[in-house]
Amino acid sequence: LSVSSPQAFPLPSLPRKQPTVLVVCGPAQNGAIGLVCARHLRIFDYEPTIFYPKRSSDPLYRDFTTQCEKMDIPFLSYLPTEVQLINDAYNAVVDAVLGAEAEAAEGREPCAAILATLKHIRIPIVSLDVPSGWDVEAGSSGGISPDVLVSLAAPKQCARRFLGRQHFVAGRFLPYDVQKKFELNPPEYPGTECVVALRAPR
Amino acid sequence: QEEAQAIDQELFTEYKFSVDQLMELAGLSCATAIAKAYPPSSFTTSQPTVLVVCGPGNNGGDGLVCARHLKLYGYEPAVYYPKRPNKPLFEGLTTQCQKMDIPFLPEFPGEAELIDEVYGLVVDAIFGFSFKGAVREPFGSILGTLQRVTAPIASIDVPSGWDVEKGKADGLQPDMLVSLTAPKKAAAHFAGRYHFLGGRFVPPALEKKYALNLPPYPGTDCVLQLS
Repeated sequence: LSVSSPQAFPLPSLPRKQPTVLVVCGPAQNGAIGLVCARHLRIFDYEPTIFYPKRSSDPLYRDFTTQCEKMDIPFLSYLPTEVQLINDAYNAVVDAVLGAEAEAAEGREPCAAILATLKHIRIPIVSLDVPSGWDVEAGSSGGISPDVLVSLAAPKQCARRFLGRQHFVAGRFLPYDVQKKFELNPPEYPGTECVVALRAPR
Repeated sequence: QEEAQAIDQELFTEYKFSVDQLMELAGLSCATAIAKAYPPSSFTTSQPTVLVVCGPGNNGGDGLVCARHLKLYGYEPAVYYPKRPNKPLFEGLTTQCQKMDIPFLPEFPGEAELIDEVYGLVVDAIFGFSFKGAVREPFGSILGTLQRVTAPIASIDVPSGWDVEKGKADGLQPDMLVSLTAPKKAAAHFAGRYHFLGGRFVPPALEKKYALNLPPYPGTDCVLQLS
């Protein structure tokens, strides 16, 4: 995810003076991956800010949080409902709210409010694995419309409904027999890249 | 050497990185540096075969991660791992390699000529920055053989057998060195063709605290070629 963001939004191309990115992290694994992404964005010289309202008690995810804090990545205490504030402050939003595992209703409430705000922002959204709030197979009606989708391991069914600008797959770590077993037929990754852009949907 | 150990400690205790996280990023850097300097098309052997020799500690773990990524990059690695720590981290890394069909050699090729015939590159993942004192067997004999190998050798972090600060004039002379986090003092004695920096995970505050003065990495690359 963190590699594809610079590919989709290279530093020199950003409209705002500072390379600010808002990373919105949900309560489960998708959010944890967002934390890792934020840390790497910081290493890549972006200025990420994290909104992580419902924190997991999983020790691994708590360590990810500490790593971000110790990298001086600010954590917002609330998400402005005034959408213009977000549009003005950041170049892009990373949506790491809900992923393919989002079955449980628990944890959905704070997410519902966040997603409602995200639906109205005008800056680009990069969604991690599944655009948050979409049904993992059927897709969405009236949900968020990300500009960039980064599918993890392999695209999910709902990715067929993705209409944004760029779709990346980050799955170069998959052992060959897993790829074969699930008939994933991934595209060739260029050189030593860990993400590959799939052909644009339009 | 003490500074390197202090930085490592701080990454784990203050920053709460796990060994797994940093080892994965380190191993990935090594494989990436190798892919840049020795692309599969450059091999004179019929397949891009690589021998990865893993030592008994974390440097060996870095080697296991490196082997796995080399496989994903299209190489044909084989691992020699004679002394395996009884810890879940290393057992997991070993399993990951085995399940990717990376062979683990039952014995070390005794002759340098044999290694040169079969492999286009050797990865030295025997000893790292914590190495001190005498070299225990079987690694003494292994290093002896490696010194007679003509295939290029890529060392992870510190050429094995070298004093971490002073180097070793009559020791291993690798063609490539991948310094992790920051170059160790011994790197000043490195005389091979390719010196890469890897391990792009150093928090800016830590870099400042230890005045590492690391040059900037290009774009989103996880390695930087220093020479």
